[in-house]
Amino acid sequence: MNLARLRKGTQVLTIVLVLLVPLLNKKGITVVMGSLYSFAIGPLWITDPLIGFQTVLTTMTADRTLLLSMVLPVVLALVLGRVFCGWACPQNTLSEFVDFAATKFGIERPWGKGTTATMRYSVLVVILILTLLLKVPLASLLSAPGIISVQTAKLIYEGTVGLELGLIALIVLFELFLVRRGWCNYICPVGSFLGIFRFTRTLKVVFSEEGDHVCGKCLACADACNLGLNPMEAGIYPQCHNCGACISACEKMKADKKPLVFKF
Amino acid sequence: MSRNLLRPPGALPEKEFIATCIRCGKCTQTCPYGSIRMASLLDGIAVMGTPVIQARKTPCYLCMKCPPVCPSGALTRGLREKEKVRMGLAEVSRKTCLAWQDTLCRSCYDDCPFIGEAIIMNNDLRPEVDEKKCVGCGICENICPLDEPAITIKPGSKT
Repeated sequence: MNLARLRKGTQVLTIVLVLLVPLLNKKGITVVMGSLYSFAIGPLWITDPLIGFQTVLTTMTADRTLLLSMVLPVVLALVLGRVFCGWACPQNTLSEFVDFAATKFGIERPWGKGTTATMRYSVLVVILILTLLLKVPLASLLSAPGIISVQTAKLIYEGTVGLELGLIALIVLFELFLVRRGWCNYICPVGSFLGIFRFTRTLKVVFSEEGDHVCGKCLACADACNLGLNPMEAGIYPQCHNCGACISACEKMKADKKPLVFKF
Repeated sequence: MSRNLLRPPGALPEKEFIATCIRCGKCTQTCPYGSIRMASLLDGIAVMGTPVIQARKTPCYLCMKCPPVCPSGALTRGLREKEKVRMGLAEVSRKTCLAWQDTLCRSCYDDCPFIGEAIIMNNDLRPEVDEKKCVGCGICENICPLDEPAITIKPGSKT
């Protein structure tokens, strides 16, 4: 199976669901219901771990139903890494499109500099501290995928959208003119929180020239990376969200000899 | 800060509600009447995205579908009995209410889901609200024939 095509498929599927679910809900079909903050597939409830944790901070209680609904996404992150970001998040899909458009029209934007882990975890910590102090679910107001899905539902239900969408507009402008993939790379608290859940056996992109795995140093992988990373270097995590674009791009080598592989 | 908003049935007291609600929109989507809308920035930045009911537009018909779907517990999930709902309290403006001006009208009384209990017609055939029975659903505010409804809900959750 072609990795790149498979990913396009899940990205498109997510967008289709973001539109289709509220449309079906409005018709009274509520088997699948909710948004990317929290949704239900029948009796199975799934909540964004950051959103659930934020509620623990604002309420200082641990609602069992809420905590249970966070388990599946946490397990997914532990096993496959931040695949939600790379394979599903509508903001990531939008940001990839913005980057594609900006490159096509020749808009110069530098990649951000500095150690991204420090930057993005600092942002996350500040958001969580403010959430705790203000007792307002700040992370909900800063969750781009949540806002996109909820506002789509609002548009379908009420015929209007809220000003929350302003954040998405700001992200687009920021990434279009200032910093390439700036939101996903350095700020997004949803992705940062998912990035916490990883350990040595979490799925990762590995660069190895052992055995027959020969690298031609063509840098096609680094060019293909949606986040401006170089998979041939160490330390691409927690920023890398396992989209697999680098592995797909490594075409010079035969499939079984690729120096870049997904590995647990 | 925010104005007083009418919340869906089972909502925690306002301050806790704002802290607990994650703005996911599930209650909005589950409401078969389109009664629940999402508050906008105009209602206040702290309440933006939270569910509100504008009773004059569409009141709550107490189908009780929304409390069980709340993922965060901002709506009390276990609430099933509509008579236990306390979204707010209806208030009759005796200065404008037709019945209180000696015109025959009992629209609110007739449409109250707790007919003869939450709104009672007194000996002069004027509506009065029983604070112990009224759940604050807003059907009376919705149905009042005046341009400015003479019976309105004062939001305030006591669940």
